[in-house]
Amino acid sequence: MRSVSEPRIRRRAGEGVVATGSAASAGGRTGGPAGATRTARTAWVVAVLAVLLVVALTSAVSFGSVDIPIGEVWSVVGRRLRGEPPEAGTRDLIVWQLRLPRALLAAVVGAGLGLVGTAVQALVRNPLADPYLLGISSGASLGAIAVIVLGAGTGGVLGWGLSASAFAGALAAFALVWALARRGGGFSPLRLVLAGIGVGQFLSGFTSFLVLQAGDEQQTRGVLFWLMGSLSGAQWDQLALPTTAVVLGLLVLQARARALNALLMGDETAAGLGVDVARLRRELFAVTSVLTGVLVSVSGAIGFVGLMVPHVCRLLIGGDHRRLLPVSALFGAVLLVAVDTLARTAVSTQELPIGVVTAVIGAPVLLLLLDRRLETR
Amino acid sequence: MSGEATADDTMRITVENLRVALAGRDILAGVELIAAAGEITGLVGPNGSGKSTLLRTVYRHLKPQGGRVLLGERDLRSMTPAAAARHVAALPQERESDFEFTVREVVAMGRTPYQKAFAGDSAADRAAVLIALVQTGVEEHQGRRFATLSGGERQRVLLARALAQEPDVLVLDEPTNHLDVRHQVELLTLLRAQDRTTLIALHDLNAAASVCDRLHVLHEGRVRASGTPREVLTPALLAEVFGIRAAVLDHPLTGDLLIAVDHRTTAAAEVPAVESSGLRR
Repeated sequence: MRSVSEPRIRRRAGEGVVATGSAASAGGRTGGPAGATRTARTAWVVAVLAVLLVVALTSAVSFGSVDIPIGEVWSVVGRRLRGEPPEAGTRDLIVWQLRLPRALLAAVVGAGLGLVGTAVQALVRNPLADPYLLGISSGASLGAIAVIVLGAGTGGVLGWGLSASAFAGALAAFALVWALARRGGGFSPLRLVLAGIGVGQFLSGFTSFLVLQAGDEQQTRGVLFWLMGSLSGAQWDQLALPTTAVVLGLLVLQARARALNALLMGDETAAGLGVDVARLRRELFAVTSVLTGVLVSVSGAIGFVGLMVPHVCRLLIGGDHRRLLPVSALFGAVLLVAVDTLARTAVSTQELPIGVVTAVIGAPVLLLLLDRRLETR
Repeated sequence: MSGEATADDTMRITVENLRVALAGRDILAGVELIAAAGEITGLVGPNGSGKSTLLRTVYRHLKPQGGRVLLGERDLRSMTPAAAARHVAALPQERESDFEFTVREVVAMGRTPYQKAFAGDSAADRAAVLIALVQTGVEEHQGRRFATLSGGERQRVLLARALAQEPDVLVLDEPTNHLDVRHQVELLTLLRAQDRTTLIALHDLNAAASVCDRLHVLHEGRVRASGTPREVLTPALLAEVFGIRAAVLDHPLTGDLLIAVDHRTTAAAEVPAVESSGLRR
């Protein structure tokens, strides 16, 4: 059984990273899926992404400083899932303790970023928006870096104390933006964006000051990893919170999918369609902020995923949020698992910050897709 | 309580002493009007007279500082947003959206007030969308991206979205703006074919005179005159409210009112400026 399936999976696993990109560009070429076929197309996209997610997770666990054959990966996981005593030796340690929690955290964070990106773009009705536009991540970074530089030494980038202070920073930024944006009875897109950018820059100023105060090289490295994002040091017990947040976030947003569609057509149109626009904006802002805070507090500010994923998914399956929200989550998960694997393995001597890889890969892909799309106008 | 009476109940819009202030300025200063069941009621008036503000209050984008908008006997503000949207559909002036929606998806948004969270489209939803697509003649475009449509096609699609709401009352804010003449005629013909209460703001006085059963002239946040187009659109009123010189004729083809505007001189040129701006406070 194992000997039959192994070569096939391995071959696909090698293509995993590339395949996400080529599937996306195929969507760009067709120049617009027709409404009647979009549902069928969505089923295909979901099926392909689901397969890719399994492939990406498997290869994420398989590849690394020590390559572990895929059959071994599944056998270790199978033993653990069946509740049998773990295999003796380092394989169980590498697969179950180190790589699998990290791969799953990448999937959860990627799903969350895709989800939040989609929702924030609707919230401020701007396709250039990303989860960090509204200043929440600046708050989280400030909270985390304050602990790194000023606080006691905590183990690893993902220590609980760091996460807690990052989340506290995110909530503080959220409260500040909320207070500024609601003045004048608003939460209008422009007001939200301006308040978010203002608060973000303000907090980043403090962050920069703290970075300058960083004592030794190790602190500086910790700070940099935080600012660029990292999934290193992921552990099983850190998965529950972000997973819960992402699932709840998806449910809350999915329940409002039609209202999000209406909101994109304009505030007046949405009001005419029976949407309580002011209330919807408050809810969206709160949900996306809390979710962003949770994500950033476990992984730092991983850039570009939240901006790129909604765009690619819109090109693939169209703008209806009933499909767009879950597909963005799925695509975000696949993308971040693949990118994190690349970040771990691309340079053999060191691990690249994942934010560097998302930007280097993501920016050209996005530009290419949008360029083709605009040509068909 | 006959069926006909209840239908009439939810098909009449009554605006009572409506007051709206924006940024501390009174835009509507006690507007009173009725849009009768099944009629096309027009709003005309110069820029800034409060037409859009009045319509926005009817479709609940704006909250009034005073007064009420009644649907039949019920205050629209006392209803939930979705319940109100099942009776009143809007075609606002905003032209947003570059977000990858198809024509069909845009029209299907009209079903939003009927749909529960997580539920798919019902048979009634699909039927209403199809009827709206056919009525407005855009069913052949239903798979196209909304962003690729021409201005005339867009307005028909947005009208289809409003019709998919199956409303008793249609509220339209200058729907013919930016359309060429042919598309203006087509859109107004579509409206005339509807058997719904229609409240419409129009810039083009001849279009308003032709399509509307009754007109209300808004001026400085109040209703200055109400009645049939022939009663309302007199040379004296056009001079006073719009500041134009115009002859009012009969249209040689349709017999409708025809307003021939003097595009060389304003009416203000004949009246001392101070008096005209202070008129009828």
